[in-house]
Amino acid sequence: MNKYNKDKRGTDKILSIYWFVILTLIAGGVFAMVYVFYGAPYDVREIESEILSEKIADCISNEGVIDSEFFVDNIFNTKINETFNKKCNFNFNVEEEYGDANEIQYFYEVEFYTLENIANPAFSFYNGNSNWKGDCFIKKENGKEYTNLAKCTEKRFYALSEKGNQYLIKILSVIGKSEKNVRQ
Amino acid sequence: MKKKGTILIENVVFIILNLLFLSVLVLFLVNQGSGAIVLEQTYAKQIAMLVDSAQPVMLIKIDMAKGKKLAEKNGIDFNNVVSISGNIVTVKLSEGKGYTYAFFNDVDVSAYADEDDKGDDTGLYVLTINKKEEVATNE
Repeated sequence: MNKYNKDKRGTDKILSIYWFVILTLIAGGVFAMVYVFYGAPYDVREIESEILSEKIADCISNEGVIDSEFFVDNIFNTKINETFNKKCNFNFNVEEEYGDANEIQYFYEVEFYTLENIANPAFSFYNGNSNWKGDCFIKKENGKEYTNLAKCTEKRFYALSEKGNQYLIKILSVIGKSEKNVRQ
Repeated sequence: MKKKGTILIENVVFIILNLLFLSVLVLFLVNQGSGAIVLEQTYAKQIAMLVDSAQPVMLIKIDMAKGKKLAEKNGIDFNNVVSISGNIVTVKLSEGKGYTYAFFNDVDVSAYADEDDKGDDTGLYVLTINKKEEVATNE
């Protein structure tokens, strides 16, 4: 009887050790998961690109009528991209932490389509770093989400010119900034 | 009788150790979620997004009560937590250099800590958005 009791105590102790080994493993797992979760920066690029496209849309048309600055003698003003950033109050300077110093982390492209020809734009212009544009199509072609690529937002709406011509306007806005939004 | 008492103490010690272990785990999780690095980044990006979507003239109040608590704990004056230079917002809740994030909306932004009637910080930060004044050039 005495021998049996002694053995049981031994088993209890071994069980306790195993219990703490399991707890340590669980704790290790939790620490690792928390580190992975909080170590990764918050990715706000999608929101940022949506805000950018909204701002561009607000600059192009007011209550469904395209701004008169877009036309010169009823023809599209080809110099609009030179003044558009100032007109919309855009400042594409970024902090110094990004890879190449002063590399612009933004890009946008605006295309105007007439309803008679939806395939080819009647007029288009862009601003910012055009290197980011390719990232949008890589994602689309593969149907996968690559976190290191730039985030893109495509927005489309209809608006009228002051002469009453109807246009479909497509806006593509892109935000790079992967250094600050994705774990490197 | 003596034997039963020994078993009880072992069980109590075992339970206490388990509780201690779980408490440390919970404390770790809570601390990670409200750490200076995480909060600095959250506030900086939140402010940048607010400024981006704002239009002149606007006044935005942002709740930074958690940040105030942490800044006071780290010996940082709450009035110096948020600073905006050009189009870059910096949030500093600890002794480090803080976290910076750029916004694209080219407006005149100023940030200051909100105070109550007694002059105490309320834990809110006020952002005022105004149109950028044109610099006069003499030609």
